[in-house]
Amino acid sequence: MSTSGTLCNSSQFARVDAVADPQSAARIRREFSDWLRRYFTLDATKISDIVLAVNEAMANAAEFAYAAVNRLGTMNVQAQFDGRAATLTVTVTDQGAWRTADAATKEPKRGRGLPLMHALADRAAVDSSQAGTRVCLEWNHVTAAGAQPGQRTRSASPGR
Amino acid sequence: MASQSAASQCTIERRRVGEIEVLSVAGVVDMLTASQLEEAIAAAAKDSPQGVIVDLGAVDFLASAGMGILVAARHELPAAVQLAVVADGPATSRPLKLVGIADVVGLHATLDDALAAVAA
Repeated sequence: MSTSGTLCNSSQFARVDAVADPQSAARIRREFSDWLRRYFTLDATKISDIVLAVNEAMANAAEFAYAAVNRLGTMNVQAQFDGRAATLTVTVTDQGAWRTADAATKEPKRGRGLPLMHALADRAAVDSSQAGTRVCLEWNHVTAAGAQPGQRTRSASPGR
Repeated sequence: MASQSAASQCTIERRRVGEIEVLSVAGVVDMLTASQLEEAIAAAAKDSPQGVIVDLGAVDFLASAGMGILVAARHELPAAVQLAVVADGPATSRPLKLVGIADVVGLHATLDDALAAVAA
């Protein structure tokens, strides 16, 4: 893990200790989108799905995580590509406490972030505790730029 | 490059087609810009249109904050005022369908389709 706040290479993207506010979320979203386009071969739907799901995780951190204490906190966004498994895993963490789902979904404007994350990612896990929230999003069949789609290392089992 | 811009950019143009207000939205509709859309819909509704069409054809990113505005608009507009959304593609129509908003507001792939549906 880089000791600076950012990391960006063909298998990793990280923004550590970013301010958990809407401006920061928008900026990271654009940088993450640029990273996806640079290092991966993804169709338009997959890119949209990934960027939107990650946005929703950051939006929740920016809006809810620190609202109760009325101060700005930080969030971490980390993406890791596993070339062998062709899997991209994105983790968004904060040290705040999200509003409960009940409170969020009562208003017509709100409450769609979590359902969206689950619908857009192949796997989505949200773990909240008093210490903070961790969102883990995973996409399969992700191809690195320059690789052939479906290319696998020799160790992959046949008949996939 | 996109990362140079300091903030999410959203532009909304409003025009009247007969008894229908058409809002053409371009750019990014996220938690920073969703209030612009909310205000535009409210302003369009003030002129007693038969319907309001929100054209997201030039939107390249639509967050749940923006989707929520569309649902809230349906709740807040008089029932007699129709509300339709134009969206096509992975960034807009796909998530709108995934969270079931297509059931709450009319969703059309083109502006012509929306105009025909609202005018009918």
